[in-house]
Amino acid sequence: MIPIEAVVGLGLLIFTVGLAGVLVRKNLVVMLMSLELLLNGVNIILAGLGRHLKSPRGSIFALFVIIIAVSEAAVGFALVLAYFRHKKSYDTDVLSDLKG
Amino acid sequence: MITLAVFALFGVLALAAAVLVIVQRNVMHSVLYLAFTVLATAGVFFTLQAEYLGAIQILVYGGGIVVLYIFVIIIVNLKEIVPERRKLIPKLFLVAVPVLLGAEVVTLVLRTGFPVAAACDEGTRFKEMAEMLLASYMAPFELASVLLLAVLIGAIIVARRKHIDDPD
Repeated sequence: MIPIEAVVGLGLLIFTVGLAGVLVRKNLVVMLMSLELLLNGVNIILAGLGRHLKSPRGSIFALFVIIIAVSEAAVGFALVLAYFRHKKSYDTDVLSDLKG
Repeated sequence: MITLAVFALFGVLALAAAVLVIVQRNVMHSVLYLAFTVLATAGVFFTLQAEYLGAIQILVYGGGIVVLYIFVIIIVNLKEIVPERRKLIPKLFLVAVPVLLGAEVVTLVLRTGFPVAAACDEGTRFKEMAEMLLASYMAPFELASVLLLAVLIGAIIVARRKHIDDPD
């Protein structure tokens, strides 16, 4: 029997790592990957709570989170491609210019 | 007991690979560690008896998103390594914010504790999940399919070239 505190702790640690990645890194692609880590951590917590409460709702919510994550990845990559075509760079410092 | 050991193994692997994702300088290495994290997370789902989620995780993340990342990196030929010009103190500050946030939530969770539920014993098998997904959560399910269609069209429109004869 896995204690629920361990599951929530693991999900939270992965969420923390992802949040640090989004905040610290300047490479757009790595920032998108860190977003995936954030959503993975949330999914672990949802699955663990679903098992703890003996309800299928945890898995269902995690399924919807995965759907949103896929959408976010696709649109994010389209934006990265369009941005790279425009600026030839991935640096978020270059992205801060409003003038195209 | 064995379940707990397997959970701990996959959890530690996922966490270590997650840290490696964000500290790598080479983006391709980051993607490979992300694939490792995703598969280890699928293992965690299996030990939590969420087999459907584990399978979806392997299929959608491991088979779809990671390959999408690799393709994008190949298409745009990501040779340049973005210089991480932040000074040490802002970097430490930005790491400290999520760490403190995580510590705060862990403290709160440990102090409050979780209810020993069984109040809503609805079963966690495939059958209950499928019935609930297609009955109570029918509207979000259909909305998700509309969202995926919109994303498909939107991604094509955003990422396409403006002119066919445009060299890049």
